[in-house]
Amino acid sequence: MTTRRQMLKSALLGGGATVVAATAMGSLGPEAAFAAAPPQPEPGVPDPDFAEGRIRSIRGNTLLVLGSNLVFHRIRVVDGTSLWKLGPVGFDEAKPGDGLYARGIRMPDGILAAESVWLNIVNIKGHVRNITSEKIHLDHNGQDVLCHVVPGKSVAMHSDAPPTADLSLLRVGQHVQILGAWRPDTNEVDIATVFSPH
Amino acid sequence: MVRSTPTPTDPIDLLAPVRGEVSWFCCGNAWGPCSSTGRGACGTCNSGSLQHAWPNTSDACWSITRPDRCGYSLSRRTCGFRHRTTSLCGGASVVTSIADCGPQTDLFCGERSCCGATCASDRLIDLTPAAYSRIASLSTGLRPCEISTA
Repeated sequence: MTTRRQMLKSALLGGGATVVAATAMGSLGPEAAFAAAPPQPEPGVPDPDFAEGRIRSIRGNTLLVLGSNLVFHRIRVVDGTSLWKLGPVGFDEAKPGDGLYARGIRMPDGILAAESVWLNIVNIKGHVRNITSEKIHLDHNGQDVLCHVVPGKSVAMHSDAPPTADLSLLRVGQHVQILGAWRPDTNEVDIATVFSPH
Repeated sequence: MVRSTPTPTDPIDLLAPVRGEVSWFCCGNAWGPCSSTGRGACGTCNSGSLQHAWPNTSDACWSITRPDRCGYSLSRRTCGFRHRTTSLCGGASVVTSIADCGPQTDLFCGERSCCGATCASDRLIDLTPAAYSRIASLSTGLRPCEISTA
């Protein structure tokens, strides 16, 4: 059986790396994709199959990314690459200036053939300083982060209850985790999920 | 559930794997809200490395995270110690080393995550993005897991 990783690798080596929308392969279930991951490198050291940084430019299907540690990455988006930006998106949603995390296969020439690219994704914890039907002001380590409710996208998870678009149960002063998409060069985030313990 | 059994003299991660919730956090002065995060309590934390935060790395750490308030007495483990985290949503696992203090377990006491009928309660470990993305998509944000010594 051909694994997702083998398919990505052959797509890149074969030169047939056309860019497609994230959902073109149907469900891109990460648990299924990562269950067949290869042996991992040593704990505590940088993972060669992972990249972090901001997009400097885009050439064809390759993202040129400068890491926060000043390491430069070339990230190839191929058939089957899953892209996320507040939800599954197509390659045209990737913009210079976006922050990203990417996981894939590091090729011999140094290019990362991407299985998954998460654009501007943040996962921050803090307490709710103020809340309206449209915004949550979050105190995150003393920083004020303005989190926007996005109709049709934002949901709340109250412990193990099903996700709900109704955020009205959230209260000022309570602690939450907000998963969302950062608006580059601002202190603002679009909300994907608010995790609340109650 | 492990949660009902531990006592303050009963370091559960030495006796058997423990179930809890796993999330992810950024570190290493990167983009966005991570710009002022720093390199964590051990001074080595980096989003791109296979590392984790543990709630009991020191007395000072314990006084912040307070997993005992949720019923846990986790063993003292210091910088560089290795744990294995296994997702209960598919079985993928990753071995990471301690690079920071966290998560703040007591602020989420009683929280529960499930994959179908498989659930786990309370936040006991945070992984770096590089580590978490080895066992689940970053977009999931929170997952039930099992933690053991590696």
